[in-house]
Amino acid sequence: MDFSLNEETKMLKSNAEKFVKEKCPSSFVKNILKEEKGFSEALWKEMADLGWLGLVYGEPYGGSGGDFFDLFVLFEEMGKAVLPSPFFCSAVFAGLLINEAGDEKVKQEYLPGIIAGKKILTVGLRNERGLYDYQDPAMEAQEVGEGSYRIKGTRLLVPYAHVADEIVVCAKLMKGSRDCGPTLFKTKSQGPGIKVIPLNTITGEKDFAVTYAEFPARQTDIIGLPGKGAAYVEKIMPKLIALKCGEMVGGLSKVVDMTVDYVKQRVQFGKPLGVLQVVQHYCADMTTFLDTARTIAYQAASLIDAGLPCAKEVAMAKAWCSDVYKKSTQIAHQLHGGIGFTEEHDLHLYYKHAKTSELDFGDSWYHRQKVAEAMGF
Amino acid sequence: MRFTFTEEQNKFRQDVRDFLQSELRAGIFVTKSGGLAEGSSQEFSRKMAKRGWIGMTWPKQYGGQGRTYVDKLILNEEIFRVQAPVAYHFLADRQIGPSIIHFGSEWQKEHFLPRFVRADDNLKFCLLFSEPNAGSDLVNVAASATKDGDSYVIRGQKVWTSGGHQADYGWLLARTCFDPKAPRHESCSQFILDLRLPGVTVRPIINMAGRHTFNEVFFDDVRVEKRFMVGQENDAFKQIMAQMDYERSGIERLMQNYPIYEKLMESIKQMDKIKVGEAFYSWVRDSIAQLEIEFNIGRLLVYYTAWTIDQGRRPPKEAALAKAYCNQYEQRLNDLATRILGPSSLLREGTPWAAFDGELAECYLWSPSYTLQGGSVEVLKNIVAQRGLNLPRK
Repeated sequence: MDFSLNEETKMLKSNAEKFVKEKCPSSFVKNILKEEKGFSEALWKEMADLGWLGLVYGEPYGGSGGDFFDLFVLFEEMGKAVLPSPFFCSAVFAGLLINEAGDEKVKQEYLPGIIAGKKILTVGLRNERGLYDYQDPAMEAQEVGEGSYRIKGTRLLVPYAHVADEIVVCAKLMKGSRDCGPTLFKTKSQGPGIKVIPLNTITGEKDFAVTYAEFPARQTDIIGLPGKGAAYVEKIMPKLIALKCGEMVGGLSKVVDMTVDYVKQRVQFGKPLGVLQVVQHYCADMTTFLDTARTIAYQAASLIDAGLPCAKEVAMAKAWCSDVYKKSTQIAHQLHGGIGFTEEHDLHLYYKHAKTSELDFGDSWYHRQKVAEAMGF
Repeated sequence: MRFTFTEEQNKFRQDVRDFLQSELRAGIFVTKSGGLAEGSSQEFSRKMAKRGWIGMTWPKQYGGQGRTYVDKLILNEEIFRVQAPVAYHFLADRQIGPSIIHFGSEWQKEHFLPRFVRADDNLKFCLLFSEPNAGSDLVNVAASATKDGDSYVIRGQKVWTSGGHQADYGWLLARTCFDPKAPRHESCSQFILDLRLPGVTVRPIINMAGRHTFNEVFFDDVRVEKRFMVGQENDAFKQIMAQMDYERSGIERLMQNYPIYEKLMESIKQMDKIKVGEAFYSWVRDSIAQLEIEFNIGRLLVYYTAWTIDQGRRPPKEAALAKAYCNQYEQRLNDLATRILGPSSLLREGTPWAAFDGELAECYLWSPSYTLQGGSVEVLKNIVAQRGLNLPRK
């Protein structure tokens, strides 16, 4: 075993940490959340120019051919600021799907733009409950003629649909009454038959409901092979989950830092709260949660990076991180008292992030089933 | 021992239910969590007053009904079941009135109690206890009340004052003894403070749910007549110890998000077991059963505490224990509900996809305050340990 980071990763992580610390203070993040766009164009351009968006993509598309593990540490650093941006939906989710499923033509058409930050794509893979349903999509693409389809259905929690150039969806391909299986389609975000409705999220991040009614799609809008949509999503899912865990670990580390700082300086009963044994134990619990979350998330990322089988390890990471990040924010709120309950304070950013992250891609119950499956039960 | 109610009590409960149902049908209010924080209606309070439901437990000589705390609890259980808008009179009923009865002057009793019972004008109260440097360490309050002839001059500030922006009066804790050698617990007094007096400034604090319910309150040489001081000078903490039992022991500590529980049960009933899968449904069944157990126990604890008060016994340990227990249940309810319902439960109101019209997302954002307001769980556990179990203080 080797728990050290290599030099390039160390440098990337340290640069990212500095970048995020300097450019994304909580006031900046809170302002972004208040604005309609929901992300900073200037910062987005900087991130693109730094090569972050294209980190794991091939050089022919403008990427740097880097390691997945480096992308993971980038997400850990961005998680510390709970930075709202289309990075995940565009340069990760949509990008990886196109990279995985697309033929050379569609990759050439989309990846360079995504990597340069000039094109923003997003994904609509969640049903009206907000659950991923690509295995058996509630959305349908009905063939109405040669290479011509009509898409109907509703997608929930589509990030940045209001600024996205295109939305990648997974619809059940119907030829007559024959179910030809889940199929990836790219759809323009505007036009007849499509409505983009803003959702009021607890984080303030820009998510949308997108309804499709007789939305016209062509053969050339299909990404990859018809019927293989679920397989493509399944293929990239471990990476998505690992990156989400990285982001959660980053957020959790800030919660621990913030809380330990607070109990060192907040005086009640003539002494800092930190002298109390119960407070020390709570802090010890939080840092235990952090260390354990970090190690199990890093393991998942490392195995993915090495191309080793890791279904169980990814599930363990998401199950664990989902619970302990949330628990830590609850402890942090107890220790912060009234001040932590204000909008002005930063803690609520992480409390909200922990809850949405918990429910995103499956909570601990969901992933425990995966662990059990992997164990053969 | 009897865990059932008498016929009389059942009839009373039904009367309350009938009243509340008719108010609901008339559209006077809606059943939505957080009724206490945001539901103030003097008109509604007057209707309750007409039925003798304010000051129910107070002695008849003060306009009360001389009824039991268990009866009052039956009323409150029904109130919170539907989140009726009782905020106008709730504090007066719960702790202001009882404090005046125990420690107030005859003038204060005559001046306030009958008006509370009738839900008269300009009687909404808020509590002026916490300060930036006096949270858990309440004894550390710095807001001062300096004697000056027939008045006291109030200087300082309070924080986390729920409803301070809508209140007519504040129940104020202020320092009246400035001798550093005097015992810490004998240096403060309580006052009934008219918030319209010159020198009082109320400033909103927005909470993490984006709502304005609590405030900072500043006192800039506010003159309050000495007849508004409650009981003896420097007796505040003795008075507060008694008051805390009332503040902590109520069913509002178990049911401030009760509609979430009912709506959750309804959602589970509508669940398509085949669609969600056997394993998930099994987990849901187990989860709701555990919540039901915890709720029932919380309810029994609260009724036990009320019964203890009716026996003439003070319940400091029981009230603290019940509140800590109940608040933790309320948090678990919100948390489990979001996991059972999935990501749409985290959408706030405004679109049809928001579970419970955004009520659950709202409650989840309020959750951290449950175990902090009115005494944090940690402080309550100290009381249970030290006063209940006689474990040594430091």
